[in-house]
Amino acid sequence: MPAFDVANRIRDALDDIKAADLDDPRLMEVLSLAENLVDTMKIFFGSMDHSIIDEFKHIAQYINRTREEIAELRPNDIHGSRIPTAGAELEAVVGDTERATENIMTLAEGIMAADASDPAAYKEQVDNAMMQMIEACSFQDITGQRVSKVVATLSHIEERVSRFSEVMGVLDAESEQSDKEKWQSENLLNGPQLDGPATGQDAIDALFDGETTEEALGQDDIDSMFD
Amino acid sequence: MAVDMNMPVLVVDDYKTMCRIMRNLLKQLGFANVDEAADGAEALQKMQSGEEFGLVISDWNMEPMTGYELLKQVRSDEKLKGTPFIMITAESKTENVIAAKRAGVNNYIVKPFNAATLKAKMSSVLGDF
Repeated sequence: MPAFDVANRIRDALDDIKAADLDDPRLMEVLSLAENLVDTMKIFFGSMDHSIIDEFKHIAQYINRTREEIAELRPNDIHGSRIPTAGAELEAVVGDTERATENIMTLAEGIMAADASDPAAYKEQVDNAMMQMIEACSFQDITGQRVSKVVATLSHIEERVSRFSEVMGVLDAESEQSDKEKWQSENLLNGPQLDGPATGQDAIDALFDGETTEEALGQDDIDSMFD
Repeated sequence: MAVDMNMPVLVVDDYKTMCRIMRNLLKQLGFANVDEAADGAEALQKMQSGEEFGLVISDWNMEPMTGYELLKQVRSDEKLKGTPFIMITAESKTENVIAAKRAGVNNYIVKPFNAATLKAKMSSVLGDF
């Protein structure tokens, strides 16, 4: 029962006692003090109840809003469909490129090992191999389309996560790496850079040929960042 | 001194396709005796098992043992430390090139590369061939 109702009930009980026409003045004095106390407490608990109710209402609204925002993210769609599809597309890209490379390499090896003693037969073999190599290069069209789908999925997720983060005022937490991730970050390189090698082959050659020093190699790279 | 074209060359890369490309390039350059390993641990095991490789050409990014770790292991092994070692990677951050050089790598090639680059680097390590 809310404090406000309890206070009202006590006050009603005190009024009943007072109305009973009691003779003892000390008892009447105690009742009056109790009445004052109840009134004071009624105000105190009443304001307290309202602030708690307001607080709970605010929390409930926040939870509802969070649920709505999470629903907007469509997590089940991302987890159940988009991510697995993107993963499958990337695996297919790896498979397509690997098959095409193997195919082209096998054809090239065939040409290198071909008997050139009969020029007409040799030319026919080379022409056939070249045609198959050109056909094999069609993988680029397929992989291009697959990669475009993956990029679209990443954009979809990025857009929704960014919106969610913005609306909810989310700050990035410290991420904990697994042992494998720690090993990888400490021992493996990041792979090819997007804008070509960080240090060009010419600069590396100069270092190994003794034409430049480690310090100079580093400075060139720093300079190139500001050029 | 003339380069022994029959010397065994060890190619270390976790991508079979890359191993096959390297095998073909080396064959074109005249080196037909090529062995392969999928990571540093397998390469080290092959090197320590007795066969004397005249050259190691290794990728950096491999698990569980990287090419960089293989290089350090080779250079700290009394029997293997003189083996010529070329690192080939897709990444060439300055600090990694310097780290490899300090660890004793003989040359460093950035992917993608061509046969001419490979020949030039091998020549700088082994002598002209």
